Amino acid sequence: MEIKYDSGEFFDEAFDADGKPRPHYQHLIDRLSEMSLEEFHQKRESVDLAFLQQGITFTVYGEESSTERVFPFDLMPRIIPKREWDHLSAGLEQRITALNLFLNDIYHDQKIVKDKVFPEEILKTGKHFRKEIVGVKVPKDIYIHICGTDLIRDDKGDYLVLEDNGRCPSGVSYMLENRQSMKRAFPRLFPRSGVRSVLDYPDQLLAALKNIAPSGVDNPTVAVLTPGVYNSAYFEHCFLARQMGVEIVEGRDLVVENDDRVYMKTTEGLKRVDVLYRRIDDDFIDPEVFRKDSMLGVSGLVRAYVKGNIGLANALGTGIADDKVTYCFVPDMIKYYLGEDPILPNVETWLPYRKDDMKYVMENMEKLVVKAANEAGGYGMLIGPHATQAEVDEFRVLVKNNPRDFIAQTPISLSRHPTYCDGGFDGRHIDLRPYIVCGETTKIIPGGLTRVALRKGSLVVNSSQGGGSKDTWVTNYDD
Amino acid sequence: MLCRVADSLFWMSRYIERAENTVRLVDVTLQTILESEHGSEEISYTHWKPILTALGDIELFESQHPEKSSRAVNNFLTFSQQNPSSVFNCIAFARENARMIRDQISSEMWETINRMYLFLKNTDAEKVCSELTFEFFQEIKEFSLLFQGITEATFPHQIGYEFIICGRQIERADKTCRILDSKRHMRSINEEENDALDTAQWAALLRGCSAFEAYHRIYVSQITGDHVRNLLVLSRNFPRSVLFCVNKLQLAMHAISKCPITYFSNEAERKMGMLISRLNYSNENDLRDNRADQLIEDIEDALAEIAVELSNRYMFMEIVDPVAELDLVES
Repeated sequence: MEIKYDSGEFFDEAFDADGKPRPHYQHLIDRLSEMSLEEFHQKRESVDLAFLQQGITFTVYGEESSTERVFPFDLMPRIIPKREWDHLSAGLEQRITALNLFLNDIYHDQKIVKDKVFPEEILKTGKHFRKEIVGVKVPKDIYIHICGTDLIRDDKGDYLVLEDNGRCPSGVSYMLENRQSMKRAFPRLFPRSGVRSVLDYPDQLLAALKNIAPSGVDNPTVAVLTPGVYNSAYFEHCFLARQMGVEIVEGRDLVVENDDRVYMKTTEGLKRVDVLYRRIDDDFIDPEVFRKDSMLGVSGLVRAYVKGNIGLANALGTGIADDKVTYCFVPDMIKYYLGEDPILPNVETWLPYRKDDMKYVMENMEKLVVKAANEAGGYGMLIGPHATQAEVDEFRVLVKNNPRDFIAQTPISLSRHPTYCDGGFDGRHIDLRPYIVCGETTKIIPGGLTRVALRKGSLVVNSSQGGGSKDTWVTNYDD
Repeated sequence: MLCRVADSLFWMSRYIERAENTVRLVDVTLQTILESEHGSEEISYTHWKPILTALGDIELFESQHPEKSSRAVNNFLTFSQQNPSSVFNCIAFARENARMIRDQISSEMWETINRMYLFLKNTDAEKVCSELTFEFFQEIKEFSLLFQGITEATFPHQIGYEFIICGRQIERADKTCRILDSKRHMRSINEEENDALDTAQWAALLRGCSAFEAYHRIYVSQITGDHVRNLLVLSRNFPRSVLFCVNKLQLAMHAISKCPITYFSNEAERKMGMLISRLNYSNENDLRDNRADQLIEDIEDALAEIAVELSNRYMFMEIVDPVAELDLVES
């Protein structure tokens, strides 16, 4: 089986510009070359079947109700050598530290606003800034306990931060299941020097959750709060609950009593809950405070939270950090709070609410990627170079009328990785979502979810739009 | 255990048992039809009427299918998505319940249900209904039994397990009653006294309950209605008899509440105890003709009430606010 193709003008993860395997991929490519295409194909089918039978699926919105799909899994792993990982890891830790300091600051003294480093108008107009929790002390001052930062590499191979995902980042179950599948399917592909394990993620998560139990609770009861079986990530919620050995609950399983404490309804009566790993957005979490029409949330949860009777991960109000306008200020936050230079740069970004930027964006929209500041999953986005004139015009009007709600970025030629498609290997664009857990200390899980745009030429890696995933190997050595 | 989880365990198990029993009925009816006059699809349909009536589905069927053919009933009971208790829907609901609690059940249990669901989804319904592939029915029955075995061997025998037993035994007892009911409806359509047909129908019922061999071991005689009823209602050791099922059900209910079996701690247990007493002290006379019909109908009603009370007590616990309650009483 031959793995060879023209890298073109892109940075290829596995091959250098001359088409030679990079040193850290040599072993893997040698091993794969010894394998026949039939053998590879068979392994692939058996992995797919196992995913389907185990029900490791996600639901696609907007199609008929029974559409459950297996998240396509590409069997050629992505490898990150030690030196690169050390760099990423330091950059991610620096970034999450600054973000947590920022959130604590804006929900208390707002020094960063007073010092004019972060504009007051952005805070005031932030859709996800929660006035309700201003002044509320959160356990250990941690707001983002679980983060899934999206990283990309440009045509030179430099890592850039695309977004931070400080609300309910998903996908970690795929990281864990992908590793298990690789071990079963291809035990001999793993290098002798080993690959760093990601399998203690559930333990790290549980420790971080116990870390935010209300004071005075020695042996906290933790539960995963899910929107329910129809949520696209339901498999993951169950998976994590099972791995941690905690209960999975829906809003209707919980009740906040007159003592402002949270209880779950059990066959033996009410049982107190101390910490919730909630996978429901702020908007839906408590109909008393946020959206009244929410059937998913728990009435009174915010009351209990404000009184310090329940730990929530992530904290309420972290959505302001996911605002793509806020994203632009993260490098400034790093300098402001830590006095350091950012280790991982942002993608070059323009903010149309600034006059000069607006002018530039209007004149160059065909060359830019325009994104809605508060949308996720690849929705509400214009990729200028691939868009029709009509689409560009539509966005021009949108941006002009709502400058605060959009950002514009230089399109990045995402790096490519050998990927099995249509009976052979070809380069496909990828990104990387490492997972960060903030408990007593900050842990960057060595690995993450590599997402791959399976459609030829596509830059969109989201599972809802034809993306797949790969196992991600962080090695113990550089080569 | 969360109330919602108890509810899902109960229904997961109950739906699987329901699917198995429906398959048993379909299987046995199809076999009976083969052995009798079945010139036209119309004539074959008369064999189905008692089954549909006993299941309470006849109106739904006839409203959906103006052409009353055997094939249409087969499809209605097996694959139809418009019939909430078709085998397909039972398996789909069982899976939906299992999916809601997949963190609670063993992965072997989940994968068994999921595989079955995928199998049914990919089965060619047209082919099964027109070619009468009995292997298909066998497959479903074996799945149900496999699931029971896997549950037994991989799931902790704690409170959740008892809810699984409750769902299964209530459904099984109820379906045994309904199978006996179907014979009553056959009586009304048998045009003339026909002992051979009568015996053949009783034999089919026994087969439907996997009781044919057990019957012959106990009653070394020709098959008679009285004996069949005795076996299927009052046997203390045949696993599909009503008394056997409700005894298991009672044990499971008291394991959940930890209340001694001679007392009761909720309505479900009280009704259960009364039903068991009645069956314990019934004799052959209570199982003759009209009295049998009455007894079976009463059992069905009692089982339905017990299911409701179980649900009230454990699965949809209303949160009672004692202060508000007091206000209400005083006003």
